[in-house]
Amino acid sequence: MRSAYLESQKSQQGRKLMACLPIFYPKPVLTALNICAAEVWGPPGPPRSAEAGRIQTYVCPIVRNALAFLAGRSAELADGLLCPHTCDSIQGLASVLPDFGGWAKPVIHFIHPRGPRRASTLAYLNQEIRGFVKNLEAFAGQSLDPNRLRWALELHRQIDTLAAKLLARRAYLDVDDFTLYTTLRKGEYLWPEDFFEELKRMDARLSDTVVQKGLPLLLSGIVPEPMSLLKNLDDAGAYVAADDYAAIGRRILPHADPPPSDPFAALVETYFAAPPCSTRASSIDGRREHLSRLAAARGVKGVIFHPIKFCEPELFDIPLLKRRLAELNIPVLVLESGLESELSGQTVTRLEAFVEMASNHGSQA
Amino acid sequence: MISRRVQYELAGRVAAPFLTKLDQWQAARKTKHPKRPTSGLFGPPLESARALKALMTSYYLRGRYADGAVPVAWVTSGFPFEPLEQLGYFIIYPENHAALCGARKLVPKISAAAEQEGFSLDLCSYARTDLGNVLKQATPVGRLPKPDLLCCSTNICQTVLHWYRNLADYLKAPLVLVDTPFIYHASPEHHLQYVVDQLEEMIAVAEGIAGRKLDRQQLVEVLARSREGSMLWRECLATGRAHPSPWTGFDTFFHIAPIVTMRGTDKCNAYYRHLLDELRDRVAKGIGGIARERIRLLWDNLPIWFNVRELSALLAERGFNFVCATYSNAWAEAGCSIQLGEPIPSMAKAYLEVYLNRDLANRLETMKQLAREFDVQGAVLHSDRSCKPYSVGQIDVKERLASDLGIKALVLEADHCDQRLYSEEQGKTRLQAFMESFDG
Repeated sequence: MRSAYLESQKSQQGRKLMACLPIFYPKPVLTALNICAAEVWGPPGPPRSAEAGRIQTYVCPIVRNALAFLAGRSAELADGLLCPHTCDSIQGLASVLPDFGGWAKPVIHFIHPRGPRRASTLAYLNQEIRGFVKNLEAFAGQSLDPNRLRWALELHRQIDTLAAKLLARRAYLDVDDFTLYTTLRKGEYLWPEDFFEELKRMDARLSDTVVQKGLPLLLSGIVPEPMSLLKNLDDAGAYVAADDYAAIGRRILPHADPPPSDPFAALVETYFAAPPCSTRASSIDGRREHLSRLAAARGVKGVIFHPIKFCEPELFDIPLLKRRLAELNIPVLVLESGLESELSGQTVTRLEAFVEMASNHGSQA
Repeated sequence: MISRRVQYELAGRVAAPFLTKLDQWQAARKTKHPKRPTSGLFGPPLESARALKALMTSYYLRGRYADGAVPVAWVTSGFPFEPLEQLGYFIIYPENHAALCGARKLVPKISAAAEQEGFSLDLCSYARTDLGNVLKQATPVGRLPKPDLLCCSTNICQTVLHWYRNLADYLKAPLVLVDTPFIYHASPEHHLQYVVDQLEEMIAVAEGIAGRKLDRQQLVEVLARSREGSMLWRECLATGRAHPSPWTGFDTFFHIAPIVTMRGTDKCNAYYRHLLDELRDRVAKGIGGIARERIRLLWDNLPIWFNVRELSALLAERGFNFVCATYSNAWAEAGCSIQLGEPIPSMAKAYLEVYLNRDLANRLETMKQLAREFDVQGAVLHSDRSCKPYSVGQIDVKERLASDLGIKALVLEADHCDQRLYSEEQGKTRLQAFMESFDG
């Protein structure tokens, strides 16, 4: 279905198609240049080709699966590859593919700054986005129209605002987590206007009263894979009341109102205003405060850290985040994802036990 | 403060020289009454090793008393440290400290504290060792001084950034970051300017903590010493081109310590002049690092610190010698390119363009150049579980070394510091099979 949709974007809409590695890149620029982004988060399950063997098994499965997918010719539809500088492993993949074979089409890099907002990072990001635009213009074969960029920024502002509303009012939304996340994740490949329509359809299902009766949990990680995890949680009597996935909640950007008149300044501002993320090297204190606020605002009764196996940025942050949640008397479960297709029976049992324990946690106190 | 300063000075000027003399006296006694005969696999040990031990003992001894006496910075190994040196900081390199713990096989014990705190075994063993030491003060060097400033540069990996963000939280110390955008083929102008801007920001923070302004004229002098040290190290490494090589690649892993921890100082340069003289003398006399050098190899990636002796003996038995290593060579690159006329921009360029901050095509070219210059017949690529940026791509590199240069290569899976992540018997079997392939 995804392939058919992307094919139609090219053949019927005349758009270029960009395969995008995770996580952060200034998507409104692609939209403004009529480039459809299709993100490559693995895909999950076993590697799609033997090319995965070119990277060691102790490296993040998103990267190994992406190599298998891209070098195994499963992304022939794409006209180019966008590589944000997310981590050491994606950095390596972005060199392995063009330098040693597996991807002969254009490769465009976006190297976002690390660490806090400061004079140097502001100036750098502004220049990096401008360089990114030049490379994309060459790729798209057209110049960027500033008015078109403003239009794209406004569209993405509306998308972010609506997605944030859906997550904030999760308890009032009469759908299960699997359905909600399936919709939210369509943003990984749908043309933004189509995605906005999907979100609006979801918005229509918001109720005036709380409909979610399960145990409210906060989930934090890179990407909610396997998606069956959400069904398992549902079966266990819990739901995702708060989201801190890099693929979802951490990419829902707060926008200034009114936005800066310079669209480049708007892109820079939204980057720094984004919720804290380990891969952008936000301070641990910032992450602690963010999770604490989310947990309090949504009445969270338990937190599941769901990192991808071997993901250093995430794994480094967990001990101090756990410590804060312990201070708040919130139970925590750490569940590593190997990007498998389904959770094992043993893991499902751990989930069920955690939900039961968290349900009883307050009453025993 | 004054008494602390006195302790610090006494540690460096009195205690360390005394301990060195004592050590030398004990070593001399052992030489007179050797407990066991030498194996005969290796050439005579390098005399400079004693000076190295003295230098490092003095460094860590002074470090014990540095906090409270002088400002202290903990710094990643690729950090542009020269302004800190001029501002009078005592600089600690946690990576070097972790390597020392690794060589003494102490990492599982020290890392346990970090693992109990929740740090995954899949994280870099240098980081786990350092965090374990911070949590439980378990170090073979007595103690490390508490930092006033943490300095991190991403030019060697992103791991250090996540590691140092944790240190900043545990130690309640400010963290300055010099973020170096990764270089795919070439670096655009604004990437260099970004590093320049961050260096100026870092200097302002370091000045505030040190309580004085950076003397930019004296910074040039530090940079000159730093560059000279790197050049001397490069010349030391270049002696390995001789047949036989006067030392082994494994020797270089240990003699690298001053260029990592004391670059920019007279002590460091004096040490490498001494070492260079000795190496050249060995070349002139035809003395090899191993007794019977037959096959020359290249080593890629960090050492397996806890297994260096065992590996060197295994190889030396069959006449195999590592005559060059990308890891040792990396320390000869950055400092050499510093231009004294433009200190900050040239520092920015030098530290931006380090080996590990460049794409795989560049790394392959460097390896091919080393292979040609050092006349190697084979390569061992240490696939290091703890170092993803160094290890990703090695499987393709192995193929390219074989196809482009016709040399045999082996990917050996291990870890730079944690022996729990290395199957010694399996590694030994793979190395033996690899060595046998040269005789086929």
